[in-house]
Amino acid sequence: MSVSNLLENWSKFRHTHPVEDKGHPDWEAYPSDIKWAMAIDLDACTGCNACSVACYAENNLPVVGKEKYSHGQAMHWMRIERYWDEDNREFPDQGAQFLPMLCQQCEAAPCETVCPVGATNHTEDGLNSQIYNRCIGSRYCSANCPYKVRYFNWYDYPTTENVWPAPMEQQLNPDLTVRGKGVMEKCTFCKQRTYTARNNAKTEGRKIHDGDVQTACQQACPTNAISFGNLFDPESRVAKQWEQQKVELIKEEQEKDVKPGNELRGYRIFEELRPYPSVMYLERVRESDV
Amino acid sequence: MIENGFNRRDFLKVLGWGGTAVALSGCGNTSIEDGKETVVSYVEPTDFMIPSIGVYYNSTCAQCDAGCNIEGRVREGRVLKLEGNPASSINRGKLCGLGQAGVQAHYNPDRLREPLLRNGDKGEAITWEKALTLINEKLNGLKGQEIAFLTGGVSGHVKVLLNNYLDALGSKNHYAYEPVSPSVVRAANKKAYGVEMPRLHLDKAKVIVSFGADFLGAWISPVHFSQQYAQFRKGSRPEGRGILVQIESKMTLTGANADRWIPIRPGTEGILAMGIINALGAGVPADVAAAAKDYTSDRVSDHTGVPAAQIIKLAEVLKANSPSLVLAGSAAEGYVHGSQNAAAIALLNQVLGNVGRTVDASINLQDTRLMPATGNRAALQVLNDNMAQGQFKVLFSFGTNPVYTAPAALKFQENLKKVSFKVAFSHYMDETALQADLVLPLDSALEDWGTSVPEYLVDPYLSIQQPLMENLNPDTHGVGDILLSLLKQRLAEAYKPYDDFYSFLRSAMVLNKAALGGTGTDDDTFWNDTLGNARVKLPATVANLSPRATASTLNLPSPAREIGAYPLRLIPSVSASMRDGRHANLSWLQESPDPLTTVVWDSWVEIHPKTAAKLGIVEGDIVEVTSPNGSVKSQAYLFPGIHPDAVSMPLGYGHEAMGRYAKDTGANVFKILDPAFDKETGELAINETNVRINKIGKRVVIVKEEGPNGGSQLGRKKIAVKVASNKVDLSKEV
Repeated sequence: MSVSNLLENWSKFRHTHPVEDKGHPDWEAYPSDIKWAMAIDLDACTGCNACSVACYAENNLPVVGKEKYSHGQAMHWMRIERYWDEDNREFPDQGAQFLPMLCQQCEAAPCETVCPVGATNHTEDGLNSQIYNRCIGSRYCSANCPYKVRYFNWYDYPTTENVWPAPMEQQLNPDLTVRGKGVMEKCTFCKQRTYTARNNAKTEGRKIHDGDVQTACQQACPTNAISFGNLFDPESRVAKQWEQQKVELIKEEQEKDVKPGNELRGYRIFEELRPYPSVMYLERVRESDV
Repeated sequence: MIENGFNRRDFLKVLGWGGTAVALSGCGNTSIEDGKETVVSYVEPTDFMIPSIGVYYNSTCAQCDAGCNIEGRVREGRVLKLEGNPASSINRGKLCGLGQAGVQAHYNPDRLREPLLRNGDKGEAITWEKALTLINEKLNGLKGQEIAFLTGGVSGHVKVLLNNYLDALGSKNHYAYEPVSPSVVRAANKKAYGVEMPRLHLDKAKVIVSFGADFLGAWISPVHFSQQYAQFRKGSRPEGRGILVQIESKMTLTGANADRWIPIRPGTEGILAMGIINALGAGVPADVAAAAKDYTSDRVSDHTGVPAAQIIKLAEVLKANSPSLVLAGSAAEGYVHGSQNAAAIALLNQVLGNVGRTVDASINLQDTRLMPATGNRAALQVLNDNMAQGQFKVLFSFGTNPVYTAPAALKFQENLKKVSFKVAFSHYMDETALQADLVLPLDSALEDWGTSVPEYLVDPYLSIQQPLMENLNPDTHGVGDILLSLLKQRLAEAYKPYDDFYSFLRSAMVLNKAALGGTGTDDDTFWNDTLGNARVKLPATVANLSPRATASTLNLPSPAREIGAYPLRLIPSVSASMRDGRHANLSWLQESPDPLTTVVWDSWVEIHPKTAAKLGIVEGDIVEVTSPNGSVKSQAYLFPGIHPDAVSMPLGYGHEAMGRYAKDTGANVFKILDPAFDKETGELAINETNVRINKIGKRVVIVKEEGPNGGSQLGRKKIAVKVASNKVDLSKEV
């Protein structure tokens, strides 16, 4: 793709959902009948890290080792953040708080608008995608990501010692690439799995059903804390959860925020920045009367 | 395509390999292992092999003793990823990080590739034929009592062969040893309920009070319990959302998920259980009430450090929510009086009427030979003592690494030298293999045949482990195959019909097919179905539960307050990924942050901020942790989830050998543990070591996932959010 082609067809290469020229998207005109989304129940999540390991296995993530980890170069697309209550009690007597953090696949992604070469892109099924061979490694996207879920290949990991020493390279998933030095990478909602599921459905002449596709993290999760599916499919579990928690994709303030006593627990992180994330979290519940 | 590491020629080689390898499991096809590297055209495809399409084969996870059923994704003859088998009653399609890393154990670059014979300080590669002949020579003329076999937990047909081999040698010396085993709870359960491993129904309890049972992390069958826990937490179940209370001196993963985490003075768990019984008041049987009479909440509070109001509240919550479930875990059992703690906790369960409701009878298999030989530390002690007296001439070891895990005070390594010929069956050149005279390299769990029965039986199923791909190294053998070869040296006629362990296994199963639900099917159909499911139902009965916990024999010592040379209690922690250190050479697990401290690639010393302030320690200070048996150095991590009188270090780090990722990563805590034992079972009292801590004047930046603000959300409202249960309506959630 030449630069002139890119500039001439800028809008074609740069979908900027949902902020079309009208400001908000016209869902009727969404380019496909699929919008992938996720819901993570923090009350079910135990912080066990199974999702993170599953992601390493599925998505060819390099193990960077102690030194590079200390430089903040770990490549964990799915990471568990651990927080403590901050009320100055002597002991954390309501436990810790775990937060699985992955790319939120924002509809109005802050990372997309700053990419100088259109490598961060919006797909027609509502994902924030990274086109590796278009990426020049400016890292603007990472700087602009409020969630810090974009990971840069500072090294050529396949040739780095003890990342995939033979025969470990035989474990690599051939369904997706191993990224080279100088490109940005991030969670894809297991693009290779959604892609296969869409193709299978198409071959069978039907729409995607809920359960046709599981992300690797969802599949591993021992407590089923993660649900994933098509938000446009009212029968999908994830759509039902969003509906029940009255969380709407293209809104920066939900009923939970404005209506007191609503008994809801669905929320999205940094909603006030208006990135319209596709991951809804369900608040961790704690029994106070013990 | 990746440059250098994986070029086109290698790629073709893999394809060619795949073309033949996918037939699986030594069915006699030509493969590159025969020295003929053949690229087979896809014009003649192998069954179930479609280029670029992954096919799933069922098998069984061998990473821990929970025995989860797995399915491996196989593409072009390579196994790529492990998932849980959705048909499994143990893990229902789910798999923990440790289990998933099984694929790294298989492709590990540090696996042993050929039999090694000691020559001075070096290992010399020899052939299998020579190795087996050598074993035969060494055994000739020996009496049965001069031969011993040390294993980890072992079950299924490998255990059958192992026992047959020992019988053939006339030896009764099978020692099963697991460094971290629930053997105290096993014994306490047997006493209190009549069975060692009752089935638990966390999902039916309204309240769970766990005395240090890390059932979400590393306790018995964590993936199974995690699933029950998910049900337990559902607001939409009839009982409503369950309440979890965790009582322990050092916060475990389960503690981090509790509604109420209660730090307790180390070793006083049994006293608290009696205090709760006392606070229950009316309704407690008279004899129990009499025994609990002295455990007033004030006295118990004084001993345990738990506020009296909290004890009364706990009793109220337990009374109001029946059925509940009370669990005793390693944190409560790891003391000289561990059995007494566990007995008091079991008594609380019985008083609350949970036995038969959330504590259910276990399953007895008709064929007990397949049941696991469960290990404990007492077995290692007997072996060690016998070695010290020079009783053994030949020692086999398999599936355990005692040179690494035995406390230094046992002098295990020294005693091992008195055995003239030591054979280690091993995946890695680990600490025990390094001391051996002959090292036999094993197939990985994804290359080998086997069957297993987990100790915690959810349903009476035999799990089948089958190869998911051909051997990576032509010169590794399966443990079943090795045992069979050794048996043939002794009983050639009896084992003549079996070419290999596969044929032994097949015959054993097919002969029994009527009992295994295969009546009316022909042998091949039965066998193919069995392999397809990788699990088969075994004839079994449900054991009788006989609640008979009694207060009359209880003897709970008051806590000794440590002052003097060793003022702090060391609580070694068992993490879900490191366990006893057998998987320390898997890089995914080293780079997977500890859930609570978020530390990677090293061990650490957890210290309560209050204690640290007293000692002038800040995060990253290298401290020397000294017990009467030695000392280790590691980085200090200030951790609020620990009793101020205790410090904690993770087990499993600090290997001196084993492989590139394990070696010299962190410090080995096993080495400094006191040789103190539970009085009734002889199990190592893992929490009985007292230590002192000194700064050595060095400070490092701890490598961890947590950012510079620690666990703080910096006052932001909507990151990780918590809500009180009375503020949400969970009853209708999907």
